Amino acid sequence: MTKIIAVHSYKGGTGKTSMSVNLAATFVKMGKKVCIFDLDFRAPSLFAILKTQDVENWFNDYLNNTCDIDKTLVDMSSKITGPGKFYSCLANPATEAIRDMSSKDRKWEMHALGRLLALKDSLLKNDKFDYLIFDTSPGLQYSSINAIVAADFVIVATTGDRSDVDGTKRMLLELYNLFEKKTGLVLNKVLDPSITAKKTEMQNRIKNDYQVPLLGIMPCFCEILRNEGNLIFVQDKPDHPFTKILAEMAKKIEKDEIA
Amino acid sequence: MIRNDLSSRKPLNILEKIEESLEKLNEKIEVMIEIQKTNGKSNLRAIPTLPDASLDVMTLLSMPDHLRKTAMTICRCTKATAEEIASQTRRARAVESAYLNQLVIMGYLKKERKGRKAYFFIEKETQS
Repeated sequence: MTKIIAVHSYKGGTGKTSMSVNLAATFVKMGKKVCIFDLDFRAPSLFAILKTQDVENWFNDYLNNTCDIDKTLVDMSSKITGPGKFYSCLANPATEAIRDMSSKDRKWEMHALGRLLALKDSLLKNDKFDYLIFDTSPGLQYSSINAIVAADFVIVATTGDRSDVDGTKRMLLELYNLFEKKTGLVLNKVLDPSITAKKTEMQNRIKNDYQVPLLGIMPCFCEILRNEGNLIFVQDKPDHPFTKILAEMAKKIEKDEIA
Repeated sequence: MIRNDLSSRKPLNILEKIEESLEKLNEKIEVMIEIQKTNGKSNLRAIPTLPDASLDVMTLLSMPDHLRKTAMTICRCTKATAEEIASQTRRARAVESAYLNQLVIMGYLKKERKGRKAYFFIEKETQS
């Protein structure tokens, strides 16, 4: 059963953070208790998107073993209209913290994996969270691979960019296959407006190219770019196609219908 | 009366002992088959024992497939017996026991005995 979802990609700018935040918000609207984690320690961005203030403890502190996980959670439920609960656990954006996280050794990373795995007991079992969503940094970095190993399901965001396609293929083959990880691919920022007519063809092409199931196809919406990552889109625009596609993805994950 | 009970139990005890011995024999054969299978894929004897080895994700990636499965499962469980690992990997207990012991030899895991059970775990000191 999927409880921990990691959102990952080979290259940056594929829409991971936007997808993570809005997928989390979609689950909250469905009545779920959700926590989103910023695992992009080299370029933290969630605090800016969620406009979080007064953060006393960061996710860095939990991984550094200086505080418990409940001390790092920020209740953001008021930002979403829905029956669920929404929490965030943020990466420290201070330059010193980024430098500190960049210089961790293998033993620390091994310990960090243990701390991520321990969230299953602390948050899922004890605090009854329905979903934990890990927003990772792109490529093959320790924090991202730790998140992939700890997750039950990984969403890989990719675009039509040739450099991203090749890298994603290699990453799926040489990383995900080795960890036998349940994976769903999201083709993001698709420019073709006649997407419905081409959907089946695209689905087959993706299955053949990437050898993993397709979770969804997301067209490129100018409205999202115009908002410059300033809002939780599914909250602000409940009738927008982006919101509806994300709701479909959330239902697929909920019902474990990723094929 | 008591003597009758004892005499009726005797064949039963012998049968239990035979069954136990057969199980042990079966486990040993399974291990031998598995080692034969994996010998072609990797030469574990060639892997040096690292006194301070850490079981991080990059190490997991570089491991042969059969050991990675066991190592990833012990990462999730923190501390477990071969039987508990086998229930998750759906491989034979004896096979997991052999792999876990290999990971101990390679320096990635520690092993401790409690009664008849052997527990495998990642050493705390190496986690800090």
